[in-house]
Amino acid sequence: MKKIVLSFSLLLISLLAIGCSKGTDSNVTGNSGVSGDRVKIVVTSWRTEDIDRMDRINAEFTKKYPNIEIDFQPVKDTEYDAQLKQSLAAGVGADVIFLRSYDSGYQVYKTKSLMNLSEMLPTLKTFPSSALAAWATPEGVSYGIPSAGVVHGVYYRKSIFKKYNLDIPKTWDDFISVAETLQKNGETVFAQGTKDNWMLYEVMYAGLGANFYGGEVARQKLLRKEARMTDPNFVIALEKMKELQKYFPKGFQAVDYVTMQQMFGTGAAAMFMGGSWEIGIFEDLGGLDDVGYFAPPVAKAGDKLQYCFHVDAGIAANVNTQYPNEVKIYMEWLASPEYAQLYMNELPGFFSYTPGSYTLNNELAKQMQSYISDSVPTVRTVWEGLSAQDPSGNALVGEAIQLMYADTLTIPEAAEYIDDGLSWFYK
Amino acid sequence: MLIANKKHWKFLFIFIFPAFAVYTLFMLLPILNSMRYSLFSGDGLALNEFVGLDNYIKLFTEERYYSKFWNAFGNNIQFFIIVTLIQNILGFFMAVLLTRTFKGSRFMRKISFLPTTLSVLVVGFIFKLILQPYPGVFDSVLKAIGLGKFILPWLGDPNSALVIVAVAVSWQFFGESVMFYASGIDGIDDSIIEAAKIDGATIWHEIFYIILPSVLPIVSIVTILIFIGDFTQFDIIYAMTSTKGDPGYSTDIFGSLFYRTTFSSAERGGWGTGMGATVATMMFIVVAIGVAGFLAFFNRRKEALN
Amino acid sequence: MINKIKKTGIRALLYFSMIIYSLSIIMPLFIMIMTSFKSNAEIFNNPLGLPASFKFDSYIRLFEKANYGQYFSNSVFVTIISLAIAITISAFASYALSKYQFKIQKFIYGYFIIGLIVPIKLGTIDIMKTMLSLNIYDTLASLIIVYIAMAIPLSVFILYDYIKMIPDELSSAARIDGCTEHGIFFKIIAPLVKPGLAAAGIISFIPNWNEFWFPLVLIKTRDFFTIPLATGQLFGQFDTKFDLVFAVLSLASIPVIIIYLLLAKQFVKGLSAGAVKG
Repeated sequence: MKKIVLSFSLLLISLLAIGCSKGTDSNVTGNSGVSGDRVKIVVTSWRTEDIDRMDRINAEFTKKYPNIEIDFQPVKDTEYDAQLKQSLAAGVGADVIFLRSYDSGYQVYKTKSLMNLSEMLPTLKTFPSSALAAWATPEGVSYGIPSAGVVHGVYYRKSIFKKYNLDIPKTWDDFISVAETLQKNGETVFAQGTKDNWMLYEVMYAGLGANFYGGEVARQKLLRKEARMTDPNFVIALEKMKELQKYFPKGFQAVDYVTMQQMFGTGAAAMFMGGSWEIGIFEDLGGLDDVGYFAPPVAKAGDKLQYCFHVDAGIAANVNTQYPNEVKIYMEWLASPEYAQLYMNELPGFFSYTPGSYTLNNELAKQMQSYISDSVPTVRTVWEGLSAQDPSGNALVGEAIQLMYADTLTIPEAAEYIDDGLSWFYK
Repeated sequence: MLIANKKHWKFLFIFIFPAFAVYTLFMLLPILNSMRYSLFSGDGLALNEFVGLDNYIKLFTEERYYSKFWNAFGNNIQFFIIVTLIQNILGFFMAVLLTRTFKGSRFMRKISFLPTTLSVLVVGFIFKLILQPYPGVFDSVLKAIGLGKFILPWLGDPNSALVIVAVAVSWQFFGESVMFYASGIDGIDDSIIEAAKIDGATIWHEIFYIILPSVLPIVSIVTILIFIGDFTQFDIIYAMTSTKGDPGYSTDIFGSLFYRTTFSSAERGGWGTGMGATVATMMFIVVAIGVAGFLAFFNRRKEALN
Repeated sequence: MINKIKKTGIRALLYFSMIIYSLSIIMPLFIMIMTSFKSNAEIFNNPLGLPASFKFDSYIRLFEKANYGQYFSNSVFVTIISLAIAITISAFASYALSKYQFKIQKFIYGYFIIGLIVPIKLGTIDIMKTMLSLNIYDTLASLIIVYIAMAIPLSVFILYDYIKMIPDELSSAARIDGCTEHGIFFKIIAPLVKPGLAAAGIISFIPNWNEFWFPLVLIKTRDFFTIPLATGQLFGQFDTKFDLVFAVLSLASIPVIIIYLLLAKQFVKGLSAGAVKG
């Protein structure tokens, strides 16, 4: 009898020991962290492509604060939100969290798992207010450092354009005729696919469509419920997207985001409608010497560019962190011009909101920025407010365009699909 | 077998209790508790308030919920049918072949089970990579054997994606059904088959009048296992078409629906924990009805055969 | 003569289908392993053939930078501990249920057997909450407990029969010699039922080793990743680097493939015993 009880309790004890060992471990380091031992702060983001680059940036921080080590642990973008939500609900997870803008981040804040940064970082007051608003409550409490914005436009291969004497298109008609010339000559026009539908919405519709649906003014009307996605201007933007389909590569339905990067990055296609965050990826894949960029073509000559300068990444802190002091030091650094400059050097195409004067060392990033002065800035069409619930505007627009390209939906049906899905918003 | 008396009680309790407790606390009770959560509203892991059957009413009356639910249900049925056809029917004939004696039959039986030992996730990723148009591993195989014109946007086309995913799962578990059937066929008394052969029975007679009846119980087990596995399958969708069941929810099945609605943020298709529990409960009901149905069906077949 | 032609025809057909079948099994695995040795550029230029030279860079990177050794030892630890405990307590229960007759004995056996068809995934929400309240969420202990629970029904199902087949005479003789009931189990039953314990262990090994869902929802810290979760996460992280991705997949598969090829007989015996009996 004794033997059994003994053996069973041994098993149980060993089990509990495993569980507790983790708890005590972290407590020990948690206390000693203050006393100067090395502390590891875990940072999470959806940018899996940036591991090496972020490691280099964070190494600079560790040089300055040798007792704080930063461990950058990104999760694949499509699974990021689910993983983040679970971790925070359970009170575990990364200490420092990259947060998407507006409702996506606000939903996370509402679970009471993020620190109030207005108190922690007084320098936030000096940030541009439009960027702050993307990571703040309606009452103005900041929970994320506005870290970076991104722009959307079109990349092209300089050598291919040169071969056919093509100029950078300014209007949509120019754009189509460039595509036509390339196709006639047997080039793969666009490294574009429809398998990952967020691309269709975030980059194509919000980036290139904005010039057709009326950019920021139209977006504000949507938010005020004065316009709907079935209105003619929004439908025209869908039609323009559909016009591009005949220039897509063979089997475009199976081409996912990663494949698009591979295709354009290795020079297998002439153009790629993408975001500024891809500069680094193309640099790694085949170098940037041959890569050019132009802003979304306008509807007709003389139109003002509606430039999607999207509030992309904010940085938040987990309230349940074991190292609040170290996190504070790190967050202060993240809000400093020093970080901003390092970040823009390592990750060209991400434009920092931190006030200060910076030098952009990347030609493409400079070009992207050059368009800003003569444009109306806007953000992605249905990002703010219209994506607070399921089905979210973000998901719906991507799905509708994907189905439109698959010929499952006609153009008006696609608009209808989005509008139907958003019925919760108009309720 | 010893008839237990009073002095055995303590001993029996101590021997049965550990397994009983762990199994109850971490397997059965969680399912019942999760059903209870379906009666609450709530988003995070904390439950808010008791709402009775509201979640169920929402699930079946609000289009944004029921459209996804019925879509996943329909996809799951298709998925199950394809897998059953391949694993059960093709698997049965493959087992008949593999149980003949020929050179290499032992080797074949050994490697047929190989894919089953891999993780579903790995299988999903392998197939996804092989089917990608760039670099196009599978496509270049097709071209090499002159079937280039049959190349499709495999996982990108809503019409073919679900079939491909089902084939990937079948590829993995095909060997398992083959092995089950083969061991059933091995168990048939040789003298029965010999006698039939002397009577001039063809291979088809042998299959339908001798082999099939004797492996019918195995057919029922395999079918039920496939049914439960398919209606809770998640890994393959995660690996091949993401938890949204791309393209356009055409590969969204119960497993991915449950994961997404329960654990994702609202912006990415989350419905909150209460609704997630409701989906889980509906899945449980579907599985329970299905299993009961198959059991009844196979029992009747068995009686009919006897 | 005609008979013979027909026979050779059938033979040819048989071998033809066997070749197709074995290629369909081996090719994907072959491509997976070969691709992991290629460079990214080579994968695009020559997706099918053998690598120009075998380079181990991606494997070295996985162990040095991605901490793969840790995931491997986590998986080994979780699998061994959970299987050992599950089989031990299942053997206790099976012995009590198969060798003693009492009122609710049939009922309890049935209660365990229900677990064979109950999808534990559907209880995930509550399991998460329980692990949180036990303060073991995001630790290996949470996985071990779930895997014990998952392995119990099948283990009881298998061991019940193995123990039942042991003749009662042995235990009655021991009982007359004054041996206690648990003494009978440890001295007589346990040594005799070793093949059954092995069968139960082998059958639960594969699903346990490959399980992905529970680490996905229960484990958030990289130090506690098991191989399947690491596979999922690393696949996402390296998705532009095909050589690394295929190395991740190969590393996840090769250990099981080797174990299977070594123990193929036992695997098949254990699994088919369950099927035929059921």
